[in-house]
Formats: sequence, structure tokens, C-alpha cells
Amino acid sequence: MKIARYPGLLNFMNYRYPIRFSVLVVTALATYLLAPIGSETYGGSWVGYLLGIVSALIVLMLIWYGIAKRHLPRHRATKPGKRTLRHRADLWRSTQQGRLSLHINLGGSLIVFATLHTGFQFGWNIHTLSYVLMLMTILSGFYGLYAYLRLPRLLTRNACGATLDELRHEISKQDELARAHALGLSDEMNLLIRKARLETRLGGNLVQQLSGRQINCPTTSAVRQILKIGSRNIENEERGLLRDLYSVLLCKESLVLRARRDIMLKARMKIWLYLHVPLSIALLAALLAHILSILFFW
Amino acid sequence: MIYCLLIRLSHNRMGAVARKESILSGDSIRIGRGVPCQLRLHDTRVALLHATLKHSKDGALHIGADGLESIKINGVTQKNADLNPGDRIEIGPYLLIVDPASKGPYLSLTAELTQPTVEQVSCPPLNLDALEINKLKIGMMLAACILFLFILLPLLPAFSPALDKAQSSLPVTLRDSWNPGHMSSGHRALEKQCSVCHQQGFRAVPDKACKACHKNSEKHTSNDAQHGVLFKTLHCTECHRDHKAAAGLMPYDSARCIACHGDIKARSAKANIPNVHEFTRDHPPFRITLRGERPLKVQPTPSLREAPGLKFSHQVHLDKRGIKSPEGDTVLNCADCHRPDKGGFKPITMKQSCQQSGCHELYYAEPADGTVPHGSELEAMNKLREFFVHWLAASAENRASCGADAGNQLELALACADDLARKNAATSLFDKKDGCGECHEIIAKPENTEVPWKISPLHINLKWYKNAVFPHEKHTSTECRSCHDKANSKSSADLAMPPIEKCRECHVGDRTTRGKVSSACDSCHQFHAK
Repeated sequence: MKIARYPGLLNFMNYRYPIRFSVLVVTALATYLLAPIGSETYGGSWVGYLLGIVSALIVLMLIWYGIAKRHLPRHRATKPGKRTLRHRADLWRSTQQGRLSLHINLGGSLIVFATLHTGFQFGWNIHTLSYVLMLMTILSGFYGLYAYLRLPRLLTRNACGATLDELRHEISKQDELARAHALGLSDEMNLLIRKARLETRLGGNLVQQLSGRQINCPTTSAVRQILKIGSRNIENEERGLLRDLYSVLLCKESLVLRARRDIMLKARMKIWLYLHVPLSIALLAALLAHILSILFFW
Repeated sequence: MIYCLLIRLSHNRMGAVARKESILSGDSIRIGRGVPCQLRLHDTRVALLHATLKHSKDGALHIGADGLESIKINGVTQKNADLNPGDRIEIGPYLLIVDPASKGPYLSLTAELTQPTVEQVSCPPLNLDALEINKLKIGMMLAACILFLFILLPLLPAFSPALDKAQSSLPVTLRDSWNPGHMSSGHRALEKQCSVCHQQGFRAVPDKACKACHKNSEKHTSNDAQHGVLFKTLHCTECHRDHKAAAGLMPYDSARCIACHGDIKARSAKANIPNVHEFTRDHPPFRITLRGERPLKVQPTPSLREAPGLKFSHQVHLDKRGIKSPEGDTVLNCADCHRPDKGGFKPITMKQSCQQSGCHELYYAEPADGTVPHGSELEAMNKLREFFVHWLAASAENRASCGADAGNQLELALACADDLARKNAATSLFDKKDGCGECHEIIAKPENTEVPWKISPLHINLKWYKNAVFPHEKHTSTECRSCHDKANSKSSADLAMPPIEKCRECHVGDRTTRGKVSSACDSCHQFHAK
């Protein structure tokens, strides 16, 4: 039985775009390296202008992808089964995956084109700022690609079929159980459990979500404290309660860690867009300033 | 023994009352949140063992708070109290009401949580969307900052010359961000004055901006009209690109030269120079410029001689055994006479080179004495005449020898001195083999009454290549004689200029070759040299 190979972002249409853009990149490198000996290899030379124009067009195409994806209606997919030229040409436009594959490969090749365009001359100016913004935008995009390829698997593995709401519900149930168990114990223990119930934090601000941790997590410290208290000389009745409470808290801690990891992975999957989009807009402005300055001081 | 019917009342979310009954019995009933208590009140505001219900000595039901705890009975905080039907006992957040029907050991209690804990559990954002960060807004703000700093501010000086002047003296100017790189060292002072060169927006730097300072820049061809035709569309900035810091202004680019000189006839039909593409491939043989009566540009051949007008043997002077001098036999080296100077050599002079260490001192022949002044025939003759005037005045015997002791003595003496000086000069000073004739060609000039001889003018060649420069200072690692073989030269007419093949032993054109020195056209040639 032939198993259908699911087309990925990178191997879309049998590595169509990686192959095409590798050829372009090699051509650009060859042009740069084999330009007449002694000729200037910076943005102001003919090689530089050529690479600069190509790079600027690529930037516009990349930004257009972001606009079209969000604001333009999608192309209607052509009927399957037809292998006409038109069908093949329409395929990349008709599928989100095809367009994204093109977007990624264009971005990757832009690093080479723009770096050669700089002629490796950098300074504290708008020209280098444009280049740095471009690099940051592309690298944030590459992180996004990594996140989309890698993190969903980790997310599924971590969630084990449970949603975040289910996890939270389970945590509150464990909290209630812990509260009930603690009532038969000392005030100190009740305070500990109360703190674990009220101050254990899921999510939070940007850094807290991305880190997936809580410094001095009350639940974790409650688990440790119970172990310490358990080692003291306590009555048999309390010992049984303590054991039950310990198992409840352990269960809660594991749920909390899973919930935090869930939030962390989701945040890490999305954070790149919070860099990619603003940096793209800033890059467009910087590119405009770069081109204007070159034309003004021709 | 106490028998207690406990009725627990609770309220669900909708406010409906739920009722749960249970029977408690015992000699005493412990009330608290702890496990050993029969009546457990599930709240942390209640102590583990808060109070105990028991019979008093007189048989009545009595409630007493444990330890430091206290209870409120009918609104009054008390430590101990007897219970009566209808009493309202407040223990922490719980209200216990003694049923009015209670009698003796049969107690009926209604327990209700009247002050539930309201716990505020905070719920921070669980995903990035909940943080409400507007990506578009951040991007627009960044873009607005960039447009303000890097477009609006740098453009402002273009609208106001006064602002342009004022901002150029700031440590960071409005246009610094547009500067693609530091300027060459010569132009560094103009780095903050963009408008000195960039006189008009969206226009290239005009030639007049360069020529405002570089007034004496030579044209490329000797023919001004031809230069105008050939380079009509070529502007200064097409070759001299600034803002490249250490790379400098000078183009190190043979391609530009070859673009024309690769097919020079196509550019100028009148051109009389061959095509050149690469130094080792098709650069024409060197042509040297010979000085003399008429400068001559020729290709050196073994039989070619020049006419410097000087008798000089390099062989004698470079004898390995040394040459006689007042200080004994001295071995001379090339640099003893050819003293390096910036870009070439210091001129060889009689005093500095030939008379060093006392060599070639010039003396008059007897009876005259004293040193001969070098450089002027007239001066040498006048000094000789002066000697003979003194010689005649010194003794009557001398005067008698030429008949100047009678008549008009002064005129006779002067004529006699002149005659004696001429005779002396003819046999010594201006002799063709001795005196000046040892180094110079002597030309008889009988028509010249004052000095009837003339030293043939010298044509010492200082610039052999009209259109090229040879930096000797860059070639100090090689010996002089490896290019100029003068060790066996007996005449100064011998040429010792190396052919192009000599240069090609080390140099190649503008390309990388192992073991060779890459040399672009501008290593030897200058564009701005007629």
C-alpha cells in the first residue's frame, strides 16, 4: 500500500522553492565573487544596485504576503485531478501552504541578497539599520517556522488530550480537596494550603507566560513543607491526613506544571508574530528612508 | 449522656436552602474543625478544638470554649455559658441555634455558615492574546519613529540653508544617519557639510563641486579638445566615489581603464597607442624618453645610446677594488651618488657627489693657484684673470716678461693678464683631455671674446617615462644592478633601462597569481597626467 506523503512547508511540491532559490542564491554569490577584479563590491556598484533592487522587490513580496494573508480573499482551489500547467501555477496561490513555502524561501534567500548588497560595509546609519531590521524580521520568521514545526508536538504530548480549561478545573478540584484535608491539621498547614490555593499563578505577563515558571511557586513549596512537617513527631490521626494531603498536593503540582507548560508552549508559538509583524512594518519604513537617502544624495 | 440532633443548613448558588441531619451522642460533644470533634465546623476560623458541650454539675447543658478561644452567645462574647432553648451560639463564621424544643439531654442544634469566606482568586492572562498587545500599533509607532528620525529630520536642511549651516556644527547632525560611511581623509572635514558636495537633491555631485577645490587637476590627454570629446559624459564621481572610509577615493580598478584602452581606436580614431588588456598579456614594450637636443621617445634596444654630454665611466667608479681618493681606495656604491628622495632621487651635483671625500677638487694650473669655481666658464676665467692681474702687480720681473713695465702700465697689465689667462686656460682649464675636458665636452667659441670656450650642455635624464611613474622606494628590497646593469659601462651614453620583461618577472596585471605581485594600471599610470 502506498502511503501518501503529507506535503510539508519545507518539502512543498518536491522541494520546488528550495531548489529554485538555491539557484538564485548561487547566481548572486557567483556574480558578487566573479565581478571584475578590483571593481567595487558595495551597494553603489552595479552589482550592488542590482542586488539592492532584487532585495527591495523581495521585501515588498514578503510584506505583500502578510497583507494578502490577512485581508484578501483566498484564491479558489482548482479542481483536483487536473495536471495542467495552469493547475500547477495556481497550486501555490490556491494553497496556504504553497504561499507560505514561497514566503519562507524568499525570506531565506533575502539574507544572502541583502548581505551581498551591503558589500560587508556597516556603520551607525539608516542603511545598516535597515539591514539589521531585515535580519531581525527574517530570524523571527525562522523562529516562527521552528515553532510551528516543533512545538505542536510538544503541546500535544504535554496536554495528553486535556484542554487548559480542563486542567484548571482539575486544579481547583484538587485545591478544594486539599482545603478539606488541611482543616483537620494545624493553622500553619492551613495557611500553607491557603497560600498554595490563592497564590499559585498560571499565565501572567509576557515574561511569565514565556518562562512557564513561577518563582517560589506556593504549590511546590507547600509540597516541600509537608515533607518537613511529616518528618516531625505528630499524632497518628494527623499522619493519615498529612499523607492524603501530600498526595493531593503532588497531583495538583503536576497539573499546575502541565498547565504552565501548555501556556508557555502556546506563548512561544505565538510570540514570534509579535516581533515579526512590527519589525516588518518598521523595515518597510527603514527601507523607504534608505532608498530615499540614496536617491536624494545620488 | 448528651443526644444531639444536628441540622446543617447550607445554601446553593441559587440561594436555595439545603438541610442535612445527623445524630451526635456522647458524654460530651467536642466542637471544632479537627478530626476528633463530633461536631466539625469546616472553616479555618474555627479552632481544631473550639468548644465542648457537656452537662454541668446541676445537670444543665453547658458550653465552654477551649483554651484561648471564645464564643458568642446571644451576641455576648463569653468563655462559658449554660445553654437554654433558643440560644444563638456564634463559633467563628458558624451560627448554632439551640432549638426551643430542646429539653434535658436531648438537644437539637441548627448549624449554618453565616459568614462564608470570600476568596479572591486572581486569574492572570492565560495567553498572549489576553495581554492585548497590538502588533500593528507597535509596528506603526516604530515606523513613525523611523520616518521622523531618518526621513523628516535629514530632509529639513534641504529647505533652509540657515538650518543646514547651523546643524552642521552639531556633534551629531540631522543627516549623519544618511552617511553611508566615513569620507576619505582629505574630505573628512566636509563630512558634516553634505551640501558642499551634494548641492542639489536627487542630482549627482556636480563636477564644479570638485573643481571648486581641485582647480589644477590635469586632463587625461595632452589635447584639450580631444579630452573634451572623449570625457564629455564622464563625471568626477564616476571614478572617485567617497564615503568608503579606508578604501579611499582612488579607484583601484583596471576595468575602467581597459574599457577604453582595450579598443582605443573605437574611442578615438586619432589615438596612436596600441590596445592593452592586461600587463603580462599585451602591454606594449616600454618606450623611454631620451633627452638631448630634441626629446625622443623610443623603444630601448641594445645599440641605443643617449647623449648626456658627460664623460663618465660607471665601471671605473664601481670598481670592486675601490677607487683612489684622498682618503685612500674607496669602494663606491650606487647610493653614494644616487641618493633616494621622495618618489625618486636627489639631483647629482658636483659638490654633493663628485667632490665628496675631497675627490675631483678643481685647481688652476701653475703659475695660477686656487680652486676653480664649478658651473660657470665666465666665473672660472675671471678668477684666472684676477690671478694674473695680481701676479703682474706682484713683481716688476713679471711685468717685464710681457712688456707691461712701460707706457700705459694699467692697460698693458690688463691686456697682459688676459693674454696670460687665455694661454693658461687653453692648456689646462679648457683642454679637451685635461681640466674641464676630463668630464665635459669643450666647444671652441673663438667669436666669444670673453670666454672663447663653452662647456657642452648636459642632458641628464630625470624622467625616462613620460606617462608612467616608477616608485623606487617600493623596490628597495632588490639591488639596483638587478635592473640597471651599469657595472661594466665605460660611457655615460650607455643605457641601462630595464625592458618590460624585467618587470614581468615579478608583476602581473590586476589579477591574483601565486608568487606574483598584482598590479593595477594605476600602479604605474595616473589618469590625470597629460
